Amino acid sequence: MPIEFRKEFFADERDDNLNEIGKPTQRQDMIGHVTGRSPFYDDHLFDGLLHIRCVRSPHHHARIRSIDVSQAERMPGVKRVILGKDVPHNLNTLLSLLDFGLDDEPLIAEKKVSYKGEPVAAIVADSERAARDAVAKVRVDWEVLPHVLDVEEAIKPNAPVVNETYPKNLFIYHNKYDHQKLRYGDVEAAFREADHIVEGRYQMSPIEQAPTETCGAIAAPENNNRFVCYTSTQALFFSLGTAAKLLELPSNRMHFIGGTVGGGFGGKVDSLHEPLAILGVILTGRPCKYMFDRAEEMQVGAPRGAERWYIKDGVMNDGRIIARQFTGYFDSGAYTRLSSYAIIKGVGHLPGPYTIPNVHANVYCVFTNRTPATAMRGFGITGVDFSIEAHMDKVAETVGMDPIELRILNSYRDGDMKAHRRLAKNTALVECCQVAAEKAKWRISDEARRQTSLMGGGGERAKLPAHTVTDELGRVEGFSSGSYAAKTSSQPNLAPAAASVSRPVQSQYQPEQYRPSSPASTETPRTPNPAPAPLAAPVPQPASQDNGARRPMRFSSISGLRRR
Amino acid sequence: MPVQVETHARLDDAVRACAQSANARFFGGGTLLMRAVNEGDQSFDRIIRCSDPVLREIRMDGNAISIGAGVTMLEVMENRDTAFLAPVARIVGGPAVRSAATIGGNLYADLPYGEMTTALLALGATIRFAGDAQGVSIDDFLRDRASRRNRVVQSISIPRVGDAANFRFVKVTRVKPKGAALMSIAAYLNRSSGSGGIRVAYGNMGPMPVRALAVERALEGASLDERGIARALEVATEGLEPPTDAFASSWYRREVAPVHLKRLLLGSGRA
Repeated sequence: MPIEFRKEFFADERDDNLNEIGKPTQRQDMIGHVTGRSPFYDDHLFDGLLHIRCVRSPHHHARIRSIDVSQAERMPGVKRVILGKDVPHNLNTLLSLLDFGLDDEPLIAEKKVSYKGEPVAAIVADSERAARDAVAKVRVDWEVLPHVLDVEEAIKPNAPVVNETYPKNLFIYHNKYDHQKLRYGDVEAAFREADHIVEGRYQMSPIEQAPTETCGAIAAPENNNRFVCYTSTQALFFSLGTAAKLLELPSNRMHFIGGTVGGGFGGKVDSLHEPLAILGVILTGRPCKYMFDRAEEMQVGAPRGAERWYIKDGVMNDGRIIARQFTGYFDSGAYTRLSSYAIIKGVGHLPGPYTIPNVHANVYCVFTNRTPATAMRGFGITGVDFSIEAHMDKVAETVGMDPIELRILNSYRDGDMKAHRRLAKNTALVECCQVAAEKAKWRISDEARRQTSLMGGGGERAKLPAHTVTDELGRVEGFSSGSYAAKTSSQPNLAPAAASVSRPVQSQYQPEQYRPSSPASTETPRTPNPAPAPLAAPVPQPASQDNGARRPMRFSSISGLRRR
Repeated sequence: MPVQVETHARLDDAVRACAQSANARFFGGGTLLMRAVNEGDQSFDRIIRCSDPVLREIRMDGNAISIGAGVTMLEVMENRDTAFLAPVARIVGGPAVRSAATIGGNLYADLPYGEMTTALLALGATIRFAGDAQGVSIDDFLRDRASRRNRVVQSISIPRVGDAANFRFVKVTRVKPKGAALMSIAAYLNRSSGSGGIRVAYGNMGPMPVRALAVERALEGASLDERGIARALEVATEGLEPPTDAFASSWYRREVAPVHLKRLLLGSGRA
């Protein structure tokens, strides 16, 4: 079926003179794909390639008493066993590159594992089979701990601590609250005035992106003491920055080559493979490949996280929704990958494409002993949109209204104030509903058919609520951002007292000085917690407590304006 | 250890090589074995191939047809003598799998595969191992299949099915045309041969293909119409313990088995 464009709805908003947008176009990689000529990372061949496979936890949650690799090291073809202590900076959070969240996840676990499949050692061997055989010979003495797999169980007072960086199993937003808040108007007052209260609970499970090409990377020594890395990453510079941090290597020593990704859908941004492949090269001097097999892709490859939503609406008899309250729980798995950010995105989207004068949301990013969750197509929005639309049908049923007409009635219109305090523009939900009804031969009233997104908005609907109720629920003390990027900060980070990890949540990351490494060496020199070296050209900063206040404002797409 | 591959021109040599090592696997068509290699199966490190043409023979043997264990699904489909098995061979995998997968390998296929074996069970096949003239019934073969993993099947003998309508087969999948079966049913309705001429077998209703003995008894002497098969449908899953897996729950399999059995017996199934 040809695509049908309804450009008339936006005719007065822009000239239709764009060359690509709104026009059918051929994908640039299509010819390569259908003729089998697109090169993928695994198509790059190297002499003497070594293969990396990880020893993984069979438990959801367990302390590592000891790891015995002596047998594995003696297996034929094994070149090196990598443990957590071999990783120069073995604690990271993906979004530290954007200055969001605390480092909470090791590349290779040292003290304990928090999800099934978490790596505790990596074998570098001549062949994949030799690596597998050696993996089977690693003996780990586990102390199995109680685990928690449900988001609401995980935040009960006596729940097992999944992630020591966040001892309450909740991500900390803006160093202040254990959840992301949205406050707009006064929902409680509106509930008292409403004719109906409609409540619902919605739940979706994790979804694996299931790419045809499993995640992986091949690294090799390159000229000028650099490392080349062919990778399946969807986020090349993100992966480069993450590798630089974990390996304490300046990014200019790494040459990352991406390109055709054999299916990504968000599942290839976590940057786990590039650092380990490069570390393998550093430790052996030979090219190394680290690639998930299919079972790993399914068990360990980070999925779209599960979400649970509770929605409570205050509705009038005529179908107008006057208040909407959300409580959301995102299952981040054992560590923070991108669920924390997904919530920021999702909360900005509430209450969906509707104009509702009172909105309230508490959304929690919860740590459970599940596989860490990451990005996938519109993540942060899709789950709550499913919940909202399912709930709209429930509201329609409660007030005895046609579900499409209910949506048109409550739809946002151009000029309306949204709960995130921006004016709505280019809205088209009304038209979308009308066209959907027409295509489905669904009868809607003449009144609903006459509506348009251009009319009825603005005016009173453009105003912020006269009064917004705020609260300090979920307030926490003692958290400060990891400030990976805040190189001029002279303050030590304030980690929560309970947050003692293998290495304290600490240290400004300092790129290691350039140092030619000897190819014969199989050990990488490890600098434990180097004291911050003076930077080349720092702006002199008085070491006073309030110097933060004088730092310039910086705009961050995930946390708004930040002072640093 | 890396995996070693040996190719033998004579079946005897291949059989000897298999017997020598517990870590050896015989290579039929490789559709299951090479997948295991790719997935890092550590239970074997030797692969024994055999190019002996005796494994590729299909020949008439009195009232029976002897099919070499190395005959592929594609060859079953294309051979005139085995034409009645073509509907079974055609639903195994896709074209690439059918051109490689062998009838002998199918005997060892674990869930959810092994539709051909279900058909062979209904036909009352005889399995002949290399170097063993006797052969065992497929019922006996399946009973202790696990202990025979390192033996090499040379051929499979099945009766000639005169009237193709006497042999019926259905594969039930969620994904068409080539999803894995949540159930398959094969029925050999050779009523002219008197008692014992009816054999019905299920695939994926247990850990391996299994006969529906209660159904067979209920169909003895019954006419193939709604009334005649009513008793058979009542006992459709008697004595079975269907598994719960990614395709279907045990409960679901029990519920739908009589429906598919009914369509099969009445010949009203959608092809």
